[in-house]
Amino acid sequence: MNKKKYSQWFFVGPHIILFIAFILIPSIYGIYASFTNWNLMTAPNFVGLENYRTILFNQDSSFHREFFNGMKNTLIFVGVSVPLMVVIPLLIATSIEHKKVKYKNFFQSIVYIPGLISISAAALIWSLIFNSQLGVMNNLFGFDTVWTATQPYAWMTIFIMTVWGGIGGNMIIYRASISSVSQDLYESAEIDGAGAIRKFISITLPSIKFPLIYTVVMTTAGSFNVFGQPLMMTGGGPRESTSVLMMYIRDLAFGSGQSIAGMASAMAVLLGMVLLVISACQYYIMNRNSA
Amino acid sequence: MKKKSIAFLASALVTLVLLAGCGGDENTIQFWTPLTGEDGAYMDQLVSDYNDTDPEFPVNHVITSDLYTQIYTVLQSGSGIPDLTLIHADRVPSFANNELLVPMDNILSQQPELNEDNFLEEAWTAGIIDGTQYTVPLDIHGSAMYYNIDLMEEYGVTHWLDDDIVTIDEMLELEGQLEEGQYVVNDALLSWVALGQLQNFGGDVEGPDGEPTINTPEMRQVIDSLRQINEAGLMTPFGEDGYLMFQSGNVLFSTDGTWSRLAHAQVESLNFGITNVYSHSADIFHNRSSAHLFSMLRNEDRTPEKEEGIGEFLEYIREHSIEWAEAGQIVASREVIEDPDYDQFMQSFYTKDERQEESLHIYTYEHYPYVVDAMDSFIADIVHGEMGIEEGLEEMQRFVEDRVDQGNQELEDAADAVEDFADDVD
Repeated sequence: MNKKKYSQWFFVGPHIILFIAFILIPSIYGIYASFTNWNLMTAPNFVGLENYRTILFNQDSSFHREFFNGMKNTLIFVGVSVPLMVVIPLLIATSIEHKKVKYKNFFQSIVYIPGLISISAAALIWSLIFNSQLGVMNNLFGFDTVWTATQPYAWMTIFIMTVWGGIGGNMIIYRASISSVSQDLYESAEIDGAGAIRKFISITLPSIKFPLIYTVVMTTAGSFNVFGQPLMMTGGGPRESTSVLMMYIRDLAFGSGQSIAGMASAMAVLLGMVLLVISACQYYIMNRNSA
Repeated sequence: MKKKSIAFLASALVTLVLLAGCGGDENTIQFWTPLTGEDGAYMDQLVSDYNDTDPEFPVNHVITSDLYTQIYTVLQSGSGIPDLTLIHADRVPSFANNELLVPMDNILSQQPELNEDNFLEEAWTAGIIDGTQYTVPLDIHGSAMYYNIDLMEEYGVTHWLDDDIVTIDEMLELEGQLEEGQYVVNDALLSWVALGQLQNFGGDVEGPDGEPTINTPEMRQVIDSLRQINEAGLMTPFGEDGYLMFQSGNVLFSTDGTWSRLAHAQVESLNFGITNVYSHSADIFHNRSSAHLFSMLRNEDRTPEKEEGIGEFLEYIREHSIEWAEAGQIVASREVIEDPDYDQFMQSFYTKDERQEESLHIYTYEHYPYVVDAMDSFIADIVHGEMGIEEGLEEMQRFVEDRVDQGNQELEDAADAVEDFADDVD
């Protein structure tokens, strides 16, 4: 009897312990740190809302400029990459699931494998492709562009790399969801004269609403935390136009000088709040429309 | 019964694995460095050679690419603090001022050969804060200027190297004479070049009261001179990989680091040499440098005996660090750099005489890392005309000032807290 009473803890216990140790406690301490002045070497000094005031309202402060520039660039990244990371894999998954398509798993592998490559390795590959001296883009296609130092090309290199490496995971989820949609629905629609687009909009999309919500929310959350792609591809340039907020946060907390962890934590908390609000809105809107 | 046995074995295995991570020989010197790549391999070899001498306290070399974050972590937790660390010169002032470092006094008294006379002065003094020696140097590393011998001969400018200093005026002589796609100099490590030039113009990054001084007339002169090269079409274009362009034989000079010798040497077609970073004057030149310094973080578990063992290891390194020259660094030990074998290394150029040694400049300003961050963020934009000079100087000044103010505010808060406590006690 006792065994049954406590057996659930055997399954959820490890996760709860890891969650408390590596997510909950650091998050609470991070929020506390955002109200302090802390260099990671001495004890943090409580400064109340001073860090937030500086970041949000002190226009003469470099932290204010960095936060808003970083947030703007992060929103640009999210705004462009999330739709691409949802729509492209959805179209690929739908295409692969078409009954006339052969070698489905082969095509799936081609799309999925880039996601297994680390961001650093992927960035090296794409940096060489876009290298103005050695790169395929300039030498094969005859361009004369310094891709990573000129806008809008700098952003383009980041988006191309992100989409290349990021669509595989979502595509697998969509494909699994689409394959579970009853064929009877499609056959009935065909009898009623529905075309491919009508079937996609009226049958496929409503049938995969939960995977769609999940992928949109998770892709958005992941995109807000973008760091590796701009760091490796453009270094945040030109003129900090691709410097995302996570780069500033990382530099403040663990840059080459004495750490400014309190300010970095405040920026991270603000980023988290924006992410929380946007994710909640996404979830609410998509859930309401699909209800 | 069988299930119970399997469960027991599984538990025992997990426990063993977990406990294995907690182990550690108390007679081993835990030595942390940020030396990744080939540097780490050369240091591994040095440590291995030392351990082969069968010391009482062998050394365990731990490479961590994120050394300073790891240091902060173990200092906060109070456990796992390494016995010996290799840190950069620009970290010493803040570490010492925050009382994170232990003075080297005991080790220096036990190892009399570890003294100022036996090391390069600039490397030795980088570890002195308020008269206390906190470090023993391993090397100096910093800006170097490589030249393409074939390209210089092609343009007939090898005489520029006669006095070991290439001036900006000399470089400007080639304005309009270069073949398309070729340049006089690249913009690699431009912030280091600028910091070297700042010394040439008599400027500094620290004011008389310890305040950062970036937006100064001297820094403006530095930027003007760098812009002059760029506007004459002699510097590799903005965003181009100037380092690669040098290796592919299209740039006369590359201003990168002493360690780049190894990478350049791997390019078969590249016939290159090394000299000082260019200057506006043939009489004044500086090569902005840093240093790897051995230091001891405050650690109550480090016994006096182990400290003695550390001293023996440092003395071994002083005598045998010619291996370290293989990594392309300017070895700090005089015994090594005066060894004729050291002359085979290209970087021996920087210690060939007193004038050269004096050109190696290490900034010891406490907030120097912020200055470098600011320079790295803005200098390329400013020099290439992507950003106005005034705007750029103001941004850099504000960038550093805001960060310094954060630290000062923390110190003031701490002082206030001490004062309040003292008042309460009274």
